[in-house]
Amino acid sequence: MTSKINHHQKINGQIFPQPCPHLADFRARSGSKPFWALQDCLRVKPPGGRAAIRRDPSEVPRCSTCGDASHPRIYACMACAAVSCHAPPQSSHAATHAASSGCSRRDHEIAVDVDRAELFCCVCRDQVYDRDFDAAVVLAQTSGSLLKPENLRKRRRIDYRPWTPDLRERTVMVNNASPIDGTSTSSDDLPLGLRGLNNLGNTCFMNSVLQALFHTPPLRNYFLSDRHNRYQCQSKNGVRLCLACDMDAMFSAVFSGDRTPYSPAKFLYSWWQHAANLASYEQQDAHEFFISMLDGIHEKVEKDHRKPHNQGSGDCCIAHRVFSGILRSDVMCMACGFTSTTYDPCVDFSLDLEPNQGSSMKTGSTKLSHSCNGEANKMKSSQNCGISTLMGCLDRFTRPERLGSDQKFFCQQCQIMQESLKQMSIRKLPLVSCFHIKRFEHSSARKMSRKVDRYLHFPFSLDMAPYLSSSILRSRFGNRIFPFDGDEPDTLDDLSSEFELFAVVTHTGKLDAGHYVTYLRLSNLWYKCDDAWITQVNENVVRAAQGYMMFYVQKMLYYKASENQVAS
Amino acid sequence: MSLPNDDNMSPHAQLSSHFFADLLDSVIADVASECHRIGRLGLDRNLDEEEEELRLSAQARARVADSSNSGETNSKYVVDIFGQTHPAVASEIFDCMNCGRSIMAGRFAPHLEKCMGKGRKARKVTRSSTAAQNRHSRGSPSSTYSYSNSTSMNRLPNGAPGVTGEEYSNGSFEDL
Repeated sequence: MTSKINHHQKINGQIFPQPCPHLADFRARSGSKPFWALQDCLRVKPPGGRAAIRRDPSEVPRCSTCGDASHPRIYACMACAAVSCHAPPQSSHAATHAASSGCSRRDHEIAVDVDRAELFCCVCRDQVYDRDFDAAVVLAQTSGSLLKPENLRKRRRIDYRPWTPDLRERTVMVNNASPIDGTSTSSDDLPLGLRGLNNLGNTCFMNSVLQALFHTPPLRNYFLSDRHNRYQCQSKNGVRLCLACDMDAMFSAVFSGDRTPYSPAKFLYSWWQHAANLASYEQQDAHEFFISMLDGIHEKVEKDHRKPHNQGSGDCCIAHRVFSGILRSDVMCMACGFTSTTYDPCVDFSLDLEPNQGSSMKTGSTKLSHSCNGEANKMKSSQNCGISTLMGCLDRFTRPERLGSDQKFFCQQCQIMQESLKQMSIRKLPLVSCFHIKRFEHSSARKMSRKVDRYLHFPFSLDMAPYLSSSILRSRFGNRIFPFDGDEPDTLDDLSSEFELFAVVTHTGKLDAGHYVTYLRLSNLWYKCDDAWITQVNENVVRAAQGYMMFYVQKMLYYKASENQVAS
Repeated sequence: MSLPNDDNMSPHAQLSSHFFADLLDSVIADVASECHRIGRLGLDRNLDEEEEELRLSAQARARVADSSNSGETNSKYVVDIFGQTHPAVASEIFDCMNCGRSIMAGRFAPHLEKCMGKGRKARKVTRSSTAAQNRHSRGSPSSTYSYSNSTSMNRLPNGAPGVTGEEYSNGSFEDL
């Protein structure tokens, strides 16, 4: 279907479209000056609207050959500003103009679509793209909304270096550690760290989250590499409440090789002291526990109490280092296009399930009412089948939302309350993304709450690139190539937005009588962790399960299947 | 695109349908131009992969539905991958770290609740209002949802190890 010609290149995250030979010629001869000369003619309709080319604001472009103004595609020649229409297959006066302009014909090969501000090659008869042209258009589009490149602190990237202990280190290890007993009764081929957790009485909400955390790669590595040594912490700070110490103890227990179920009693005791309001023997919510736990680790481990740490950078504690991301919220005035931007840290993504699209939809029909911003590429087969998907929820999360007239926002440029458009995007992705599905539905009319059991599809591999602020911003401005794309501190290769699923916390049953179970993916095999019972399951079981919390880790941290989990 | 038969319509109606046709053509060209740009600049999503995922998912659900009586849902009463079996109520015994008494694991939480003086009898307010209060008053940013318009009550309270036959599931339901 698509030709294999490489139409663009990506270098350091920046897009470089490949010009056709005629555009390349044009650039060689005239540089980017003609594009910048268009600045005066670029008209942008607020809010954040499309750019058009008009010499005069009220100009109605007409084809100089046939006088028609109604054709959907009208082009202005970049060399002589002659306006022509292009209406294949009947006629293309634009192509005729390019072909017939005598000895300086080559200058007239490139034209611009006056209604869409897109370059067009009259010889190839195809739309073509150029970075400098887009830069000129973006400048015109963003001058009204004061959009600037963001100035977040650059984070240095360090290359991965494999490590093996030298002789001295090896001696230290041998003298101060004891090897894990590899001769336990259970099979040695099973992954370390797989161990059942006893239910202490309505605590499956806690067990399910703990299982996911024990196998969260950066968190696991942190504790297993002794970064929070509970003995040192206690000798330094005295015996006091420290959830990180309790985590350390649990990691040691779970990875010890002992396969009998572990009772996280001490941890429960500590957590109930920390989260007094949640301390009760009753059924609770796994997500609420997750948040409370991260909070607990943060409070006790926060490194420097003197100055407040930006949680988004994750410098404060391991919990935030692993789970913290930054959300960007843009509120745009519908009248003038002025955009107000705020950033907030987040430790997870709580997503609404899409409203019921109707269970039996024929494959042919599509629901246009959902594509409120007219994005044609969003009409995928999932909408046709009526299945909710995680990506659909993320689309919904990042869609531009018209705030009602009762939610007007004060525009600094207009200096009055205006209707506005709000859009969320992800400024910084966390190392581990936890997606929480809001399966709780509250009906104020009926004064009751109920659980939404609707199936949600979640992929095993997830690319978060479309939800990044850079992508969302770019699509807001017609997908132009942003000139400052490459300067963004966190402009990353495609790899860094790719995630792999490693744990799924599922919920079955009713709102007030149900059960949590976690599925773990280790070496591409799936294990079901149902309190004390660990069993292996086929991936189909996981695909078909009712996901409540899904944990994804950045692919570059994800360890692919290895034959032998245990290092000798 | 074929235009409607001019003879059948009044000039007024003809004009309207011409305008509509022009607008429609323009919109179609808009969409085509956008998709072309997205495709050429490599911004499109991998729809093939997404469709494949959906297919796998549908297949999985069909297979699981077929084998729903294979015992998958009742894994509690089977042997785990280490070859162990476990009782429905955890039977490990250890000492309570609050009072020192020996407690059976499966009954530890209800014991600890009374032992620590927590729980419904000890508290005056309901869990839901305390939780909401705490979220606002504690002010720890990690529990702030600045982007959520809905209320913070999006909770699935649960913890029961089994759906049926659990003797301590009585009397532990909070009135919502």
